[in-house]
Amino acid sequence: MSFFGFDPSGPKSKERNNDGGNKPLDFDDTYGGLGDYEQEEGDYLNAETFGADVELGNDFDFGHSESNQSGASATIQQPSHVHRSYVAAASQGVSSSNPAQLDTSIDLKPMESLWTAGEQEYQQEQQPQQPQVMSMEDIERQQRQMQMAAAAHQQAPSQQGFMQMPPPPHNFPMQGLPPQQPYQQDQPNSQFVNQYPPHMIPPPAMQGHPNQFQQMPPMFNHHQSQIPNPNQHYPQMYPTPPPNFQEHHGQQQQPQLPLQPPQPPQQGNGYSASPQTLPQPQLAHQQVSPPTTTQIQTELQPPAGVSRSILASPQSVASPRTESNVTSASPQPLQQEQQEHYQVRSPEQQLPVRNIQKQMQQRREPLTPEEQKRLQVRHAKVEKIMKHSGVMTPRDKDFITRYQLSQIVTDDPYNEDFYFQVYKIIQRGGIVGGESNKGSIARAYLEHSGHRLGGRYKRADIALQRMQSQVEKAVTVAKERPQKNKDNVEKITGREGVLGKISSAMNSKAPRRQLLIPSHKASRISNEDELQSLLLASSASPSTSSLDGTDEHNNSHQPVDAASLANVPALEDVTQHLGNVEISQNSKSRRRSSYAFTSVDQNSVLSRSGGRKFVLSLIETVYREVLELEANLRSGKEINNTLLWEALHVDDDIYEVCPFISMLTFDKGVKIMPRIFNFLDKKQKLKLLQTFFSELSHLNIIIISSYKTNPTPTDNQLKKIDLFQTVFLKIIVSFLSNNSNFIEIMGLLLHLIKNNNVSFISTSKIGLNLITVLISRAALIRQDSNRSNGLSSPEISAWNEIYDKLFTALESKLASVFPPQEYLDKVLKVMDEQQQQHLPHYNSGNSPSNVQFYDQSYIWQFLASLALSGKLNHQRIIIDEVREEIFGTINAAEELLNSNEIDKANATYRREKLYQDLNLFLNVMGLVSRDGEISELK
Amino acid sequence: MSLETPLDLLKLNLDEQVYVKLRGARSLVGTLQAFDSHCNIVLSDAIETIYELDDEGDLQSVERNSEMIFVRGDTVTLITTPDEE
Repeated sequence: MSFFGFDPSGPKSKERNNDGGNKPLDFDDTYGGLGDYEQEEGDYLNAETFGADVELGNDFDFGHSESNQSGASATIQQPSHVHRSYVAAASQGVSSSNPAQLDTSIDLKPMESLWTAGEQEYQQEQQPQQPQVMSMEDIERQQRQMQMAAAAHQQAPSQQGFMQMPPPPHNFPMQGLPPQQPYQQDQPNSQFVNQYPPHMIPPPAMQGHPNQFQQMPPMFNHHQSQIPNPNQHYPQMYPTPPPNFQEHHGQQQQPQLPLQPPQPPQQGNGYSASPQTLPQPQLAHQQVSPPTTTQIQTELQPPAGVSRSILASPQSVASPRTESNVTSASPQPLQQEQQEHYQVRSPEQQLPVRNIQKQMQQRREPLTPEEQKRLQVRHAKVEKIMKHSGVMTPRDKDFITRYQLSQIVTDDPYNEDFYFQVYKIIQRGGIVGGESNKGSIARAYLEHSGHRLGGRYKRADIALQRMQSQVEKAVTVAKERPQKNKDNVEKITGREGVLGKISSAMNSKAPRRQLLIPSHKASRISNEDELQSLLLASSASPSTSSLDGTDEHNNSHQPVDAASLANVPALEDVTQHLGNVEISQNSKSRRRSSYAFTSVDQNSVLSRSGGRKFVLSLIETVYREVLELEANLRSGKEINNTLLWEALHVDDDIYEVCPFISMLTFDKGVKIMPRIFNFLDKKQKLKLLQTFFSELSHLNIIIISSYKTNPTPTDNQLKKIDLFQTVFLKIIVSFLSNNSNFIEIMGLLLHLIKNNNVSFISTSKIGLNLITVLISRAALIRQDSNRSNGLSSPEISAWNEIYDKLFTALESKLASVFPPQEYLDKVLKVMDEQQQQHLPHYNSGNSPSNVQFYDQSYIWQFLASLALSGKLNHQRIIIDEVREEIFGTINAAEELLNSNEIDKANATYRREKLYQDLNLFLNVMGLVSRDGEISELK
Repeated sequence: MSLETPLDLLKLNLDEQVYVKLRGARSLVGTLQAFDSHCNIVLSDAIETIYELDDEGDLQSVERNSEMIFVRGDTVTLITTPDEE
């Protein structure tokens, strides 16, 4: 114990050095050693053994002055604490310099120095508590922030009160309040008990009188401040009873103080100070090592009478005076005393303490039982709050917040919401079976959401997913539309001539703004006439650039859309717009070539657009430009995309096939597209897409993905298709859904119809997807504006026109959108091979769950959106043409029921999938197919 | 983009499939990822074919796949576009 360590400078430091190797003596190290040493029990006896007039302020293991102690603690504790202690030290420096006073006191008063030594020992004893003291500081800060701390620390006060418990007699005079009386009565007992059989009683006392204790601290502190309460010195009191005795006398004199008017505030001060500064550490300490603390407490309590001055602190000097002061008891000095006292204990806390004292003062003064109750409740609340506080880091919170915000912001909250997806799958599904249930739900979800890692084909068809959701949305809206309306469409249109236009939408919601005099048939005819005439005119003057035309058109149409003014100029605009497409088509006979299958040979396409080398060098140029633009963007320079636009050659008429289309032949050309789009303005994007749709037939990816021109796709080609779908389709979908208006979509569709062999394009997966994107988007806009009357009748009739054209192009060939079985088999074979290549160990067992199937949902989506925009007769035709496929799908689904056991889960899932896809289409017409039968949708 | 040096031509084939003939009766087909003036090249998803004559004097070939491969320039004798599939 202390005996060896007493010559601290010698052996201790040497040991340290040895431990630490050859390093020079390090301040921190020495103090670390102190920490170890301090934790020993019974150190406080050292003072008795050795006398206390050891040099203070030196780097002894024990026998530190207060300031040293704080320094030691600082080294021991976290850096943050150190930092704080500096601040505190600075502030303290202003008010007083402890060490100096300490030294002088020691020098001058040897007897007191004995006590001081005891105090030091005690402090050593307490040093284990230092971390707690630190925590106290933390608590203080929290308290200041929350202002609720007082309640939170009620426990602490009680213990604190107990530890520092002043001799009960003092309380008597001071406290006239009733609640305190029990304390007074009880306290004497406990105190006495404590004094003599120290270890036994304290805990019960604490438990038994929490409230009293809470109230006690103020009084206690008061005592401390007034009569420097030597609780801490008490251990030393044993050997020297007389001082204790004297002290008691002195304390008994103190009761006079309470009578003085200024006291109430002081009590408040004392209370506030004690709970906040001291309680927590002690409490913790108790919990950690109950025996020691109780011992100390009990031992400490009796000697309360010892004068404060004994403490190695500024107060020690002042203590004699203090006592006199106490008796005279002017509030101000007392407060100062108190503050000093706290300074001594932990100088760093001084400032916070003062603040808190003020707060507490205000709050604490009344301290009625009710308030206590309230405090307790509050305390409980705070406890509750604190219980989970700090579970989440700020980053966690940030993440959650962002996640929630993203849910709000997203365009497509349903599809991005995992729970909704799962719910939908469960709802939709009769997915049966216990164990397989989870599996199939998960798989269905992955399939549906196009999970980044999964999906059935390991594809990331996010764009496609969006398109699908778009179609689904449209279908749902159509479903919701009252059945009657659909049936009565014909009648309504028939009646229209008589009653004026009858809007199928709610008139109350969207009142008609203007009387329309609809001559539906007539306008249609005239529309066509106008188209014809425009066609003629355009072929007569082919010089009109389509870009100019569309620009004009766009400009003039913005207000039309916004105001939804159905007027003749708008109609003209539409038809003119339509006409312009014709111009570009008719004026350039070369476009005709796209109708034929001359583009099947990739090399011929390349050669017609300048040659492979030319296209490749264009791509390099584009890359360079994009990089440059991106660099400019990063450095905040002005962005000028002229060079990029030129490099794209979008409106380059020199070549038979637009070089831009040929760029998309190469993967790197596709990959750069999103970055190009970042730098194009809306006009350019539109122009680019117009070109794209016009020359779709030349697009290599269409050729590759069509079962007609490429009946045996290779692994590489399938990858290319995937890439195109993920990259380019995404751009188109986002452009259509964010930036484009109805007219523009019609324009794009028209470009597609006029310049391409639609039935051929519809045989390719990519082509079908592109058409689906366009018409489903248009259908959505139409549904939206049905409610808001957003579309003018010319726009609608123009749309009908375009739709008719599209439908005519597809009519009688609709069944051919379904690839033949051989093609599907080949694709599956390639995919299987690919998968086996990549996951040999995974698939080697011929595990049934990995059996691939060709996802035809894109076809049903296409048919659904086609039917959605069509009239009843259109729908009839569609059903007629694909009837075989519908029943084929149903049969396939039903056959899956009979599949062998091993396949069960997979079969169930596939069956659900087939019905899901099929119903997407059937729902549009108010039908639903379940369990092999088709019934009407309810 | 101007084509001034032979390697500029090579640049056009970045991210494209190339056929690379190497010394020692080897050849590579892969996607060109990078190259430098020494003709050091990096190919991805490359198939390396090693030709050899067996005891009877017949030409045998062994293929090896590599996800990413670096080829030191001094072994490269020829780079071209691969035969159409």
